[in-house]
Amino acid sequence: MKFLYNIGRYFAMLGKVFSKPEKTRLYIRQLFYEIESLGIDSVGIIIVLSLFVGGIMTIQYAYSMSNPIYPVELIGLGTRDTLLLEFSSTIMALIMAGKIGSNITSEIGSMKVTEQIDSLEIMGVNSASYLILPKIIAVVFIFPFLYVLSVFFGLIGGLITGPAVGVITMPDYISGIIWLFEPYYVTFSIIKSLFFGFIIASVPAYFGYYVQGGALEVGKASTKAVVNTNILILLTDLILTRLLLT
Amino acid sequence: MIETRNISKSFGGQQVLKNVTTAFQKGKTNLIIGRSGSGKTVLLKCILGLHEVDEGEIFYDGRDFTKMNEKSRKKLRQEIGMVFQGGALFDSLTVEENVQFPLDFFTTQTPKEKEERVNFCLEHVNISNANNLYPSEISGGMQKRVAIARAIALNPRYLFCDEPNSGLDPETATVIDKLIQEITKEFNITTIINTHDMNSVIEIGESVLFISNGEKCWEGTKDEILKTNNKTLNEFIFANKLYAKLKESS
Ligand SMILES: Nc1ncnc2c1ncn2[C@@H]1O[C@H](COP(=O)(O)OP(=O)(O)O)[C@@H](O)[C@H]1O
Ligand SMILES: [Mg+2]
Repeated sequence: MKFLYNIGRYFAMLGKVFSKPEKTRLYIRQLFYEIESLGIDSVGIIIVLSLFVGGIMTIQYAYSMSNPIYPVELIGLGTRDTLLLEFSSTIMALIMAGKIGSNITSEIGSMKVTEQIDSLEIMGVNSASYLILPKIIAVVFIFPFLYVLSVFFGLIGGLITGPAVGVITMPDYISGIIWLFEPYYVTFSIIKSLFFGFIIASVPAYFGYYVQGGALEVGKASTKAVVNTNILILLTDLILTRLLLT
Repeated sequence: MIETRNISKSFGGQQVLKNVTTAFQKGKTNLIIGRSGSGKTVLLKCILGLHEVDEGEIFYDGRDFTKMNEKSRKKLRQEIGMVFQGGALFDSLTVEENVQFPLDFFTTQTPKEKEERVNFCLEHVNISNANNLYPSEISGGMQKRVAIARAIALNPRYLFCDEPNSGLDPETATVIDKLIQEITKEFNITTIINTHDMNSVIEIGESVLFISNGEKCWEGTKDEILKTNNKTLNEFIFANKLYAKLKESS
């Protein structure tokens, strides 16, 4: 019952979010601000995580493919396809839900409990649209870039780590990552990342927008937002994989 | 003038406002007083349309607010300034940007005109040299003043203040009260102030509405309030010993 109520209210909120903006210029100003604060600020963590995970995956693939019956290219291929298909889209989205999502819930939630949202409404500003629309557009817009960035640095991670720990030579690794390359995997993952971007911005925004109480409730709402966002990401992943990949 | 007629409001079975009928005069500081939880904020938010009333009517200078569609309400709201309990300044914007925000949204003024208006409003609330500070960098009293400056940016006909001096020391509280009264007089605004502070009543209570458990319990002026025989009101006022002494001596 509560679940259905939340779904209904979520879509009602989206209705408000996607109504016609009042002052386009102010929305654009807000959009650039959000792209910077939600997107550019995530670049560092994405690079670090991808370098590590790419390196670790290369070592693990090398280990599990150590039997000489496997062609050595499988190590690079395995690393590449895991990054392309799952890590850089889905796992990265789960991590970003923790960073961007909780950031969005706490920002909007604290605006709610300190009556800043009421204050916008009193002025006659559509608060849902003004606060949430630029965030959704910003995150949906930057997510494909973050995906590409993550794949790139994941591959670099393997390139550095594999030869450094001596599990594979650099030429073998490189011939692996270009072996049997399937461009559709990229298209598929970019489609996924657009969906994930939408979920990561809108679901936490919902939890922030309807929070009631004080600072404590905002904290709780953040946690709830991240958990629900993660579940929705995995569910969407499952559905999209079934629809687009099989 | 703002009038309410028989407005009632419930939240999930709990009736918070019961048949409140009253009027708030233009050019005066109209106070709504009552204990915490008596329904002052809900009454204010109903008048503003942040809560929909279950029953009753609200008139802004004869204009029936309850019957207005969303578009007309939005228009009317540009005539309203509001000072929230905690100030509710936008914490990602500087003092100056906060005051400028309504101008950005609702006027077509040039940057120069906006700057002049912002400075005019900030001077009116005695704020200088704080234009580029963020709300978190200024004191509570200053935040309230900036909130007042923002509320008057669009030259409102109606000004609402929810506990404007809560969380302030008595001296600063009086300064804020006086400031609101001055602005009310100067621009001939219909001002409604929620408070549980008897000091405010004595300072600026030109017209006072006392609500108890969501019902109108008493109405009058600050001079009448000390002489009233209303039992509930007396309990509220004389919870403060000082006023009990004041009454004995008068
Ligand atoms: N949005 C809401 N939902 C449910 N109950 C509310 C809501 N807002 C206020 N109330 C209840 O209404 C009563 C009056 O609250 P309020 O008007 O905030 O009191 P105060 O006089 O202190 O401003 C309280 O019992 C409060 O719990
Ligand atoms: Mg209140």
